[in-house]
Amino acid sequence: MTDTDIIVVGAGPAGSCAAIAAAKAGKRVVLIERGPFPGSKNMYGGVIYPRILDELIPDWFEHAPIQRWIVRRSTMLLSDTGALNIDYRSNAWGQAPYNGATAYRPDFDNWLAQQAVAAGAELICSTTVTGLLRDAQGRINGITTDRPDGDLTASVVIACDGVNSFIAKDAGLYKAVDASNYTLGVKETLSLPKNVIDERFGVRDNQGVDIEILGGTSGVNGGGFIYTNLDTIALGVVLKLPKLSAQKKRPEEIIAELKRHPAIAPLIEGAEVIEYSAHLIPEAGLDMMPKMVADGLLVAGDAAALCLAAGIWLEGVNFAMASGMYAGQSAVQAITAGNTTASGLQSYTKKLNETFVLKDHKKLRKIPHLVLSDRVQHKYPGFVTGIMERMFRVENPHPKPGVRRILREERKKAGISLMDLVRDALTGLKGFG
Amino acid sequence: MSLESLRAANNIERDATWAEMSFQERIDTAEFRIHERAHITVNGDSCRGCTTRECVVACPANLFVPTSDGGILFNYENCFECGTCYMVCNEAGAITWTYPEGGYGIVFHRT
Amino acid sequence: MTIAVCLKWINASGQTDIDDDRFMGFSYADQAALEYALRIAENTNDEVIVVTAGPVGAEAVLRDAIARGAQRAVRIDIDRSHDSAVIAQAIAQVVAHCSLIWCGDYSSDRGSGSVPAFIAAELSFAQALGLVEIQVPADSLHPIRALRRLDGGRREQLEIRGQAVISVEGSTARLRRASLKGSMAANKQAIDIVTVNQVATETPPTRAYRPRARAVAAPVGNSALDRVRQITDTSSSKGHGETVHLEPREAAELIVSKLREWGYQS
Ligand SMILES: Cc1cc2nc3c(=O)[nH]c(=O)nc-3n(C[C@H](O)[C@H](O)[C@H](O)COP(=O)(O)OP(=O)(O)OC[C@H]3O[C@@H](n4cnc5c(N)ncnc54)[C@H](O)[C@@H]3O)c2cc1C
Ligand code: SF4
Ligand code: SF4
Repeated sequence: MTDTDIIVVGAGPAGSCAAIAAAKAGKRVVLIERGPFPGSKNMYGGVIYPRILDELIPDWFEHAPIQRWIVRRSTMLLSDTGALNIDYRSNAWGQAPYNGATAYRPDFDNWLAQQAVAAGAELICSTTVTGLLRDAQGRINGITTDRPDGDLTASVVIACDGVNSFIAKDAGLYKAVDASNYTLGVKETLSLPKNVIDERFGVRDNQGVDIEILGGTSGVNGGGFIYTNLDTIALGVVLKLPKLSAQKKRPEEIIAELKRHPAIAPLIEGAEVIEYSAHLIPEAGLDMMPKMVADGLLVAGDAAALCLAAGIWLEGVNFAMASGMYAGQSAVQAITAGNTTASGLQSYTKKLNETFVLKDHKKLRKIPHLVLSDRVQHKYPGFVTGIMERMFRVENPHPKPGVRRILREERKKAGISLMDLVRDALTGLKGFG
Repeated sequence: MSLESLRAANNIERDATWAEMSFQERIDTAEFRIHERAHITVNGDSCRGCTTRECVVACPANLFVPTSDGGILFNYENCFECGTCYMVCNEAGAITWTYPEGGYGIVFHRT
Repeated sequence: MTIAVCLKWINASGQTDIDDDRFMGFSYADQAALEYALRIAENTNDEVIVVTAGPVGAEAVLRDAIARGAQRAVRIDIDRSHDSAVIAQAIAQVVAHCSLIWCGDYSSDRGSGSVPAFIAAELSFAQALGLVEIQVPADSLHPIRALRRLDGGRREQLEIRGQAVISVEGSTARLRRASLKGSMAANKQAIDIVTVNQVATETPPTRAYRPRARAVAAPVGNSALDRVRQITDTSSSKGHGETVHLEPREAAELIVSKLREWGYQS
């Protein structure tokens, strides 16, 4: 007899959704979190796409602790002095059925974990899971923790322990860990009065803005982001790890430079840093994913590298919530069917393959590499802003130059061969298509 | 002379206020519940042979400080528990990395 | 017998005025008090009961204490904005039957350390407050030996027998970790909720003592300087200097009457 049916490690979005799904199906669930409360260890850029919650918590939008509903989504290309901004606005996103929302993770994750408790799961905080227990056949059947008398047995363990997942590594599901598959996110929470944010970003009430930035990271491969909360702005950069030291620029210096950019500075003028934070992102998508099923074990969310980080998209919370939910459901099925070996748990991988979780990843497989490639990082922002500069600069008495000429000259100036341009364009078309 | 033109003439950033934030002030904006046990330890001997010093540049909490004798001085207290250091370090055995005891370490508020 | 531990639900992140369940906990002083109570109870086979005065959210600290080894928990459903005397009186009603009542010496949220003293007064228990070192007795036959901080780096040695209120400084003992099974059991433990008869009347708001206004005659003098000197000079001998030799009781009475006369005391 095991202590419980299902142990979920980590009360992030993946873990809480796994626990909700399993507890709703009537299983005994213990949800273990190392922070003093769920969300206390979790940091991200700032936008959640919670529609996947419809299945578990139909009225989530009435209760979830969100800051603002995204109604403007911008993509900014920064050169040293110029900026190209593609801005889309839809006020409809500010109403049901909604799209994205900004939220603080210590608020959102805590709320989500309380939904698991309400569904009947048992939440234990301030407890770090230190390893896995195995039965005589080597099947995983529980966990060890850093508590006295801290072993706990279960039929299925679901590892939702985030990007560093020592559980998945302990179970041998990852190949060697390669730093180039990860990016480091650092951000500042900047405080500004609500009305100032509303004015500067052209929104009102609880409407919010999402800005993804390419370029502006001081020569380090990566990107930047700005999101509006009610009375704070989240501003940060995402940096490719091995490149960091080559540039001899520290993360906070790169943030400072981004903040000084002429297109960014006016947005945040006068804002005070009220919290500085950092976290890793599993960036390489499909190419880094581990095996997600073992005897008695499922892996979900960032622990399985399911985060989608493809340049203009930075989505992980929705992938975590979905994969967590499917893991919870598969664990329940397997327990009910009396087979919790890897084969008994296979319905999980099947479900991931059938849904956006792996479909999006397959579709966008090439994009993370493309976006983080040296050309896209260091040449294209200058190339594109250079084109804009010349298209819109009026140099009378000279007549306007032809677009083709501008393209050719700017491409040469940026040092991009026609071959490369065509190849990247094709990769992009195919990759995003 | 207006304040604006004064600033321009002296090449002063319009809002230099944040640029002046010291690293200590920056790290003080985060809450750390410090446990007496160091959850990360660095073996200075391994670092002596290390030429990249990746950790010194990459650690967002700036916890790795090179010493004049070629070693590394490390403090665990103000750590985000992000994992960057063990990922970028190529010297096997230089960093022993664990999470702090449950309930301790970084506590985010508005992230 | 039963040993009581009083735990105050406070913001553990150091903000004093934000009641956010996520950031609440109990102070290092309260943690030390709980640890000593648990250590003593192990040797004496006493029961440990933990008490807090506050709203439902405060039950989290009680469960935490149960997980670490306390047997029973009581939450006094009372508005925490009451002053120390009222809170102490409410707690006293719940812990009157206990042999020892342990408290932190003062909480980190602007606590004044007055609750333990009020409880002792209320129950007519002995008090040993602000302890810095405690020797846990081997069994219930031996007294608790302790050191108390006095001014000027001095220490007072105490021997505690019988019913007493004890308060300890923070960080004098590290609170043990709860076992995993203990935490799981604590989640299910019932917590007694009591509403106490509010017998204590709220003490009127106190304010800093200030001398009452006195009529002072306008200074007279030929030059402005003289007149200014008259009202500002401290070296003139018109002060209240007086040396008396009296028994302590009479001396005290004289001092109080003089203070009244000079307007320092109403
Ligand atoms: C800078 C940055 C920006 C991002 N921006 C966005 C964005 O805008 N939108 C978006 O959707 N996603 C974004 N993401 C990605 C998103 O944050 C993650 O994909 C998501 O949090 C994954 O959820 P999870 O539940 O899998 O893991 P996590 O949220 O990391 O949760 C893991 C949980 O497990 C706990 N845990 C870990 N180890 C243990 C252990 N041994 N014992 C007990 N508990 C343990 C942790 O404390 C944590 O609570 C961003 C990430 C970063 C770093
Ligand atoms: S910790 Fe690793 S990267 Fe840092 S100096 Fe030592 S060996 Fe080099
Ligand atoms: S885990 Fe992150 S914050 Fe902590 S020492 Fe390593 S790099 Fe620095």
